[in-house]
Amino acid sequence: MNLKSRLSRLQTDSGSTVTGTAPKPPASPLRRRLAALRPERVHAQAATGHDTLSIAALTDALGGELLADGVIRIHRHIPLTGKLGCVELGTLRPDPLLPGEPGTRNLRQVYIDTETTGLSGGSGTLAFLLGVAVVGNDALSLTQLLLTRFAAETQLLSAFAASLSANDRLVSYNGKSYDLPLLLTRFRMQGLAPPFGGLPHLDLLHPVRRLFGRRWPDCRLLTLERELLGFSRTDDLPGSEAPGAWFDYVRHGHAGRLVRVVTHNRQDIISLAAAHSALARAVTEPHACGVDLPALARWMAKHDEAAARALLLQDTASLCDDGRRLLGHYCRRAGDWQQAVTVWEQLAARGCSDSLLRLAKYHEHISGDLVAARDCCEQLPADAAQAQRRRRLDRKLQSGCPSPGLCTRH
Amino acid sequence: MNTPAGQLAHTLDSPATDPVEVLAARLREQYADRITGELVVPARGGRYAPLPDDLHPRLAAALAGRGITRLYTHQAAAWEAVQTGRHTVVVTPTASGKTLCYNLPVLQAALQSQARALYLFPTKALAQDQVAELLALNEAGGLGVRTFTFDGDTPGDARKAVRTRGDIVVTNPDMLHQGILPHHTKWAQFFETLRFVVIDEMHTYRGVFGSHVANVLRRLQRICRFYGADPRFILCSATIANPVELADGLIGADVSAVTDSGAPQGARHLLLWNPPVVNPDLGIRASARSQTTRIAKQAVKRGLKSIVFTRSRLMVEVLTKYMKDAFDRDPRHPARVAAYRGGYLPTERRAMEKRLRAGSIDCVISTSALELGVDIGALDVCVLNGYPGTVAGTWQRLGRAGRRARTALGVLVASSLPLDQYIIRNPAFFLGASPEQARIDPDQLLILLDHVRCAAFELPFREGDRFGDEDLGELLAYLQEHGVVHREGRQWHWMADSYPANSVGLRSVAEGNFVVIDTTGGAQTVIAEVDYRSAPETLYEGAIYMVQSVPYQVERLDWEGRKARVTRTRADYYTDAIDYTRLKILECFVEGGSLAQALSTTGDVTPDNRGRGAAPAGSTMTAISSLASHGEVHLVRRIAGYKKIRYYTHENIGYGNIDLPDQEMHTTAVWWQLRPAALDAAFASRQQALDGFLGAGYALHIVAAMRMLSEPQDIGRAVGDGNAEWFASVGASGRGSLMNGQGEAVEPAALARFTPTLFLYDNYPGGIGISAPLFEQQAAIIAGARQLVSACECAHGCPGCIGPILASDEVRGFSPKQAALTVLALLPNEADTLPAP
Repeated sequence: MNLKSRLSRLQTDSGSTVTGTAPKPPASPLRRRLAALRPERVHAQAATGHDTLSIAALTDALGGELLADGVIRIHRHIPLTGKLGCVELGTLRPDPLLPGEPGTRNLRQVYIDTETTGLSGGSGTLAFLLGVAVVGNDALSLTQLLLTRFAAETQLLSAFAASLSANDRLVSYNGKSYDLPLLLTRFRMQGLAPPFGGLPHLDLLHPVRRLFGRRWPDCRLLTLERELLGFSRTDDLPGSEAPGAWFDYVRHGHAGRLVRVVTHNRQDIISLAAAHSALARAVTEPHACGVDLPALARWMAKHDEAAARALLLQDTASLCDDGRRLLGHYCRRAGDWQQAVTVWEQLAARGCSDSLLRLAKYHEHISGDLVAARDCCEQLPADAAQAQRRRRLDRKLQSGCPSPGLCTRH
Repeated sequence: MNTPAGQLAHTLDSPATDPVEVLAARLREQYADRITGELVVPARGGRYAPLPDDLHPRLAAALAGRGITRLYTHQAAAWEAVQTGRHTVVVTPTASGKTLCYNLPVLQAALQSQARALYLFPTKALAQDQVAELLALNEAGGLGVRTFTFDGDTPGDARKAVRTRGDIVVTNPDMLHQGILPHHTKWAQFFETLRFVVIDEMHTYRGVFGSHVANVLRRLQRICRFYGADPRFILCSATIANPVELADGLIGADVSAVTDSGAPQGARHLLLWNPPVVNPDLGIRASARSQTTRIAKQAVKRGLKSIVFTRSRLMVEVLTKYMKDAFDRDPRHPARVAAYRGGYLPTERRAMEKRLRAGSIDCVISTSALELGVDIGALDVCVLNGYPGTVAGTWQRLGRAGRRARTALGVLVASSLPLDQYIIRNPAFFLGASPEQARIDPDQLLILLDHVRCAAFELPFREGDRFGDEDLGELLAYLQEHGVVHREGRQWHWMADSYPANSVGLRSVAEGNFVVIDTTGGAQTVIAEVDYRSAPETLYEGAIYMVQSVPYQVERLDWEGRKARVTRTRADYYTDAIDYTRLKILECFVEGGSLAQALSTTGDVTPDNRGRGAAPAGSTMTAISSLASHGEVHLVRRIAGYKKIRYYTHENIGYGNIDLPDQEMHTTAVWWQLRPAALDAAFASRQQALDGFLGAGYALHIVAAMRMLSEPQDIGRAVGDGNAEWFASVGASGRGSLMNGQGEAVEPAALARFTPTLFLYDNYPGGIGISAPLFEQQAAIIAGARQLVSACECAHGCPGCIGPILASDEVRGFSPKQAALTVLALLPNEADTLPAP
């Protein structure tokens, strides 16, 4: 049968039997074949009761300016006084310090967050809203770039690229796995050189996980706001609705939800900046912020073990066992045997065999108190190493080895 | 690597001393009455060409390191074709050194200009083989070319290195489809320098899978254009009838072919073997199983490496047990016999392949899993336990035996199935037949539409772009209506919060494998995996499940949890499930009466009538004779029970009930029914009508599979009443017989109502879009079936037209072939589709 008769057959068939709610486009043969092959429910339940907004009207509504046909720039200069949303702006610092960071770096912190057309990643997902912020001494400077048509993506990306400079550091929340790879894809798709290749990048999710991962139910930004910044958003558009909000506008000109996405993104960025300052504060005042102290100590010890030890010594009474073990470790390495022995004895009393072993070694090799060493050894779980240690101690006790110095290195 | 052993002198054993020749001669002599046909292909010497002048010196050195100082002529021809920039397809037999045809140009380009290559293999196992070969060549010459596999097993932290550092990336179409193309920006460097795409085992890309892969390649080419690359394709295939056509279809461009193998080949003997009649009164023959075992044992005893192919996994285990009983009695010695099939754990399969290559296995028993080019080294004898079903498949399996300078023997042992018996009794049919064509239809609308979605996700479409032969603008407009793309100016952009490649599978629907857990002695060891489709017939409670012919009994089947708990057993029997399938019409989308000219009198269809299926000339009587419908059907497959069969004697020693949910599938189908009046007028008896429907169904299935997509199993066929009250099948007698929903036999004459319905259904859950175009093209398919049957030279029917007819059927009193023609004549004609005047 030739194509013409195939098509005419299908037309006849579908004309007589396909019923229901499918839209009736002007009859094209191919479309009829498709409809017959795949009877689908209608997708476009166009939202009703929304006003359509031109790009100019949307620009006005957002208080922005039209940067190019299809890119709205919304700029805010926010003095660091009072509150914005729920954040005490006075708490924001231009250059918060986290462990291991030198004090004078002359780096500009650029807070960055994107809203995208999907969460699945891949080259079919784009960032339609890009927010960046910089904290000055007395004001927060926040710029959002909003895309309103596909064709303007190059301009959006170029504007973003132009706002970065060589001494910037990007600060994001989960940006290492999400925002930055996605932006890299977009720059490649548009044939542009990505501007952030050489820039340092701090993903706050990682220190937050480190310090609070075992304290909080999860480490989402909303949880951070509640636990660390002390507020909960009201009337926030969930991030998961962002793609639909943008599609609504691009398809139908309905801007209602899109305006709320812009607000949501602004709040995200301000929270991000506030979280950075709050983290720096949490490092200096860990007890006030519910920080996982051993985790913080381990982090600090990477750069400064003395500081880590000092941190744990601040309030030894309230240390957890993990913290005590860590303290014992740092004290031993620093030669502070007295403090180390105190900690180990506390732990040993609670049945920590590792600390018993430490004590046994200490008494055998450092203090030379072989009887005490033998005593600790007795309490250790019986295994080959324990038996050998006991035999050695017995031998030493019998031979009456007087000087610890003679026995330590054997 | 199949090194062209160019420098080896051919020291062919003389027929008198060559052990394979001796075995073949002995079989001929001793069992002359069982051999119904044979073929001897004489040995052929190799034809050689010098290494190409322009071959990179380091590559030549690497070849020398592997003992290669010259090429086979086909390797040189492939080099020539590729160097002149043509897409090239290489079609030469197994073990002819195909891999060098693509490895040489790829390595050359990597050495000369850091060009990259993408290798596609249909399975992960083959990909691993290739990496091993490339590594060996690379090492021999210190070439520094980095080859990596990229598949589902590649760990996350290694993926970046593969993307940025790999010179040759080896993967499979599924990974390209879901993991690489949608993330092409991460592969930007790779695509920018991509020079070659290698597609090995091309013949596996046919039917639905092939149609999907052709579209994945369209997407690949689109991405390459984006990065300014225009890679050449090098394809390799086993022997099929239309390699160039398939290659053209897959890559959408002209391909030059290299088909004349220069590799030497030892002589090949093929024997067609029919088991002897053991009960002349009942015409019962000895089982293929016993004959296969006997031949394989003789081969192993003579020190010949052998492979036995069976059609089912169960038979692999049964035959392995028989062979092990003969050769692996002493557990202190390493096993000489091994089983190889799908369902074993990947690590176990890899280990088995290694032992095969090392030559430490004397006999391997396998399903079609080894049909593909998994490198298993040189074998001497190949025994097929039953006809594999296609000519191409048979030659592919036979090709597993026979290497260069050695004689090979293949034996095709027929089972008692009608198709096997037809083949074995008409040896000229098989020996003279050309292999099947591999067909794809990349423009099948639903498949095309799926890939247009995936492609739109990867890169926006521009006005004037092409993707396939349908009107792309229309397809995009359709997708826009369904809210996944958005037109802006002259471009269509993806606009949905989803990742379309994840919802498009290239193969069948995966529904979760079952794991088999050995709980013997309180252990919890996973010993095998079974795919969802075969779980009900292999893992029912009470089943004997075998791994390397060690029997385990299934104690508990956790259907929801996809687990079967088994324990070791010493049973002296194995189990075989009894199943049957029924269809019920759920909803009719489209229905059309046919104005086919009904035959006016029953006299026109007497057995002697040799009419060609058309109405008698001059007939003026027209009436609506048949009804064709397209709609949704419900298919029920019930595993009702199982038989316990004792080893060796094969006596039935008991039955067991199986309490499993029916396997149900909703899918779409096309079906035809005849008006009762037309039915009564055309057939003298219900039995005739039934045989007519079954025969017509067989022919329609062949033509439909050819016209739609080439894999016959993509389409199912059934004859029933449409209400799942009865269904028909060709019984052991070769005649159509009826069974009711409980699986009990029913006499056609005893039914109150008799409306036979012929179904062709989409054999995938939910349907993959086969039945609608099938309905659309039904007139052409029916016309094709009429043509096929009426032009067939057989008298009463054969596997080439209406299905195998045993000789005894010729005396049934009517011609089943004529009955099928009568049914076909009553189905819609092409002319009917035109508006009635």
